[in-house]
Amino acid sequence: MGVMPMTDKPEGTVKIESEGDIVAVRKTVREISCECGFEITDVTRIVTAASELARNIYHFAGSGDMLWHILETSESIGIELTFVDRGPGIEDIDKAMELGYTTGKGLGLGLPGAKRLMGELEIQSQLGKGTTVTVRKWLKKLYEQSGAARNNTHITYQ
Amino acid sequence: MASTELSVVKVYDILLVTVPADPDDETISLLQDKVLKAMETYEAKGLILDISTVLTFDSFFARTIVETAQMFKLMGGRTIIAGMQPDVAITATQLGLTLGNIQTALDVDRALKILANGSDGGYAHDRQT
Repeated sequence: MGVMPMTDKPEGTVKIESEGDIVAVRKTVREISCECGFEITDVTRIVTAASELARNIYHFAGSGDMLWHILETSESIGIELTFVDRGPGIEDIDKAMELGYTTGKGLGLGLPGAKRLMGELEIQSQLGKGTTVTVRKWLKKLYEQSGAARNNTHITYQ
Repeated sequence: MASTELSVVKVYDILLVTVPADPDDETISLLQDKVLKAMETYEAKGLILDISTVLTFDSFFARTIVETAQMFKLMGGRTIIAGMQPDVAITATQLGLTLGNIQTALDVDRALKILANGSDGGYAHDRQT
């Protein structure tokens, strides 16, 4: 017992340099959110948000990284995804968070959509230096043992 | 690799495309190209995009699908999106995606009936009851 399986591999990085890497981001995020015990709709929400944010990096910055981290408190398990690039930066973050606002390439759904899907979203951006977007989603533990959550049997989320 | 994953099947005068579960952006763009070329070749009147295996329906995917349907319409055809899974529908709605005026169906079977009947065949509304 002792060490929980989840702490074996609590974090990692996926490089985003090509369109194919967006698929790699989705695959990794799907695996880790399933492993955390999120139910299928939440897994779809998390993967879709990650897809939007990874595509933002590819389209606006050219390249960057997604860092993932599994968080654990006594009551919850969480997944944290950080998207880091050294691209042009966001001129007006408030505007970028408005639904439907786009500088031209997308539908303007990416950032506000990702926030709605994940619950928590933070942006840090500096013009000419790059952007960091962090999203988090939490899953309440129903049982003391996180194994029960991973087995995905009696999970209710909100 | 991308091109072998995609096939456009002609059934009478309808084109049927089964969209891969987790396509990259290139595959989605290629789908659009293949569909329009098949439309020209076969003079199809209907297009069914079967997305029943699709896991992630994000904004790029949605935009390309809507564009494809609009182009297909300009060429004289009608598009039906079939088989969206419940969790994908929930996520797409929360993300803020819409499919514009594109008709949808629960599955390919219903989509075929809608196209075969010319009108909505009574199927477009039968889920509302």
